[in-house]
Amino acid sequence: MDFLLELLQILVFPGILFAIGLAFVYEWLDRKIYARLQNRVGPLYTGPSGILQPFADFIKLLAKEDVVPNEVDKPLFNALPIFALTLSLTGFLALPITGLRGVISFNGDLIFLITLMTLICIVIMYSGISSANRFSTVGAERAALQLLGYEIPMMLSAISIGILASSMWVYDIVSIQANGGWFLIGPGILGFAIFVLCGQAELERIPFDIPEAETEIVAGWLTEFSGRKLALFRLTKNVELLYLSGLVVALFLGGPSGPVMPGLEFILYPLYFLLKTLFVLFLLTTLRALFARLRIDQMVNFSWKYLVPLAILQVLIVRLVV
Amino acid sequence: MQEEELQKTEKKSAYELFFDIPVGPQHPALKEPAFFKFRVEGERVVGVDVDVSYNHRGIERALEDRNYIQNIYLIERICGICNVAHTLCYAQAVEQLHGKEIPPRANYIRLMMEELARIHSHMLWLGVAAHEIGFDTLFMYVWRDREVVMDLIEMLTGNRVTTAVNTIGGVRRDVSNEAKDKVKKGMNVLEERLKYYRKVALNDPTVNARCSGVGILKPKDAIRLCAVGPTLRASGVKNDVRKDDPYTLHDEVPFNVITFDTMDVFARVLVRIDETLESVNMVRYCLDHMPNGDVRIKLPLSPPVGEAISRVEAPRGELIHYARSNGTKNPERYKVRTPTFENLPSVSEMLTSKSDYEVNIADIPIILASIDPCFSCTARMEFRDVSKGKTWIWSLKELKAHCSKSRR
Repeated sequence: MDFLLELLQILVFPGILFAIGLAFVYEWLDRKIYARLQNRVGPLYTGPSGILQPFADFIKLLAKEDVVPNEVDKPLFNALPIFALTLSLTGFLALPITGLRGVISFNGDLIFLITLMTLICIVIMYSGISSANRFSTVGAERAALQLLGYEIPMMLSAISIGILASSMWVYDIVSIQANGGWFLIGPGILGFAIFVLCGQAELERIPFDIPEAETEIVAGWLTEFSGRKLALFRLTKNVELLYLSGLVVALFLGGPSGPVMPGLEFILYPLYFLLKTLFVLFLLTTLRALFARLRIDQMVNFSWKYLVPLAILQVLIVRLVV
Repeated sequence: MQEEELQKTEKKSAYELFFDIPVGPQHPALKEPAFFKFRVEGERVVGVDVDVSYNHRGIERALEDRNYIQNIYLIERICGICNVAHTLCYAQAVEQLHGKEIPPRANYIRLMMEELARIHSHMLWLGVAAHEIGFDTLFMYVWRDREVVMDLIEMLTGNRVTTAVNTIGGVRRDVSNEAKDKVKKGMNVLEERLKYYRKVALNDPTVNARCSGVGILKPKDAIRLCAVGPTLRASGVKNDVRKDDPYTLHDEVPFNVITFDTMDVFARVLVRIDETLESVNMVRYCLDHMPNGDVRIKLPLSPPVGEAISRVEAPRGELIHYARSNGTKNPERYKVRTPTFENLPSVSEMLTSKSDYEVNIADIPIILASIDPCFSCTARMEFRDVSKGKTWIWSLKELKAHCSKSRR
């Protein structure tokens, strides 16, 4: 029975099906908010207020012809979209949603979660290189450079939270915040800012959408992917967006915790999770609407000149507090 | 740059990791058929090869087969955005052949339409430039406000883009008093918004980061490579046909020639925004000082024998039309020289890395866009042997020799 329940948790709620469904809704929200910030209407026709548009796009891409160019590294080219989606879904399973623990939870899982994001970036590099396309190669090269830029400040700010909680277990981090207040309101605020900015770079969104800069290198590392593979990559990006906002919530906003009536945790925890991730999503989308795209040298410069020193400062602040 | 020169640069590289990045004829940054081959080393551009002949339309030849009235509509379709400049230039050339002056009210309307078209073109460019540097929010806002001027143009002429307002001997539509009020209101809105965009361009850190120090064109290079229009003025050279060789009423209507001395893409952004503000004031002046009277005189279909040259400052730079008449209802020869063609040597100069000046792949779209390219009017005829990969252009002598041969 326990095994069946666990399987249901992984496959349906709060696992894969929930993640994919929510990812579509979040993409719709992201597009809608972005559009409203730009004085447009955004998706409108599919479903009420266009809420089904991302899903319709996904179905459409699944039905499209899947072109595999002759020159590509075929096994890698075919496998990478699946790798990417698997990685982002695995990350989602480790997030605390229905309780203070995720479906997967073990001591030290914060390191695992951060590693997953780096792995996704490495998958992106490989997909660029395996495409054997000039635009893809430039995109992959940029993705690697960008990783060098944002990864260290992101890890440092996550580690500072680990120091605050004296644990690298997301369960511990969330339960300390559930009892003693969010890390965002307090010593973690600088870390929060750094983490959200680096998250924007991880998700390749403006101003850090350098690896897939449309006007410069067509679609960057994604150029050669079409049909099902493109659909999977797009879904990966959406799940990753959800995963990253969930991680920010777990690290800085107390995860799904909040005032609960006994017996209603199962409804209230996911609700709090949704509200908090929506806040993070709103922040991420607003950032996306505010800037022009940076150049890759400017991005790496910015990150090593400002983000890394600030992240070290954050670690020092946290060390003084603890 | 030629192929041999590219190979020379290849040998100098420490990494020997060159490859060519094609931009165009289909590329998200270039909406029109032109081909740029960039040789890159990592992110650095070391060479550029330009090919614009993808869409030769043979308009000059077609003009010789149609009469002067039909030609208005063909001329208008050389370029959608510069259509007012083209018809104005054409009408001036034909009127010059006739040796007739048009009524003053028509002149005012022509000038007003020209400046409205400039506002529309520059705002379109500003949006495109914002899109090229990935600032889609600015792009959407600018294009939203551009609708104000588009609506005004539609109200005045009946069409949003292809206005068909200039004709030989004047203009086709008068401007009513209600229309004047609406235009004035629209100008107030535009002035406020344009001042806001000027502030955005000056203060936004990411716009500055992407535009400052990018696409440098020094004044002496600009003059040597025959740059025209805002591209030239952004290099600090005071040159504007409206001031240097006034047509319509540009000697009466006051305006400043905007120049900037930073010589980069940022200067081109600011020159265009400031020029748009000048245009707003010029439109206002026209509305206030427009005399009453006819807007058109009737001219016969066939002008007398002669030739004429007419110059107009189109939104993209100096536009020259040349017409030769042999007394029939069709022109004997018609020649159009468009500003984008003149700016192409400058853009290759901007795109080539020099010792202290580096061009990145990321700079390509905004540098290309900074001359406000419009390739629909740019294609020239050339010959191409696909099997040998050879391209050449015939001189007049060779062409004549070929003609006489084929006649036989």
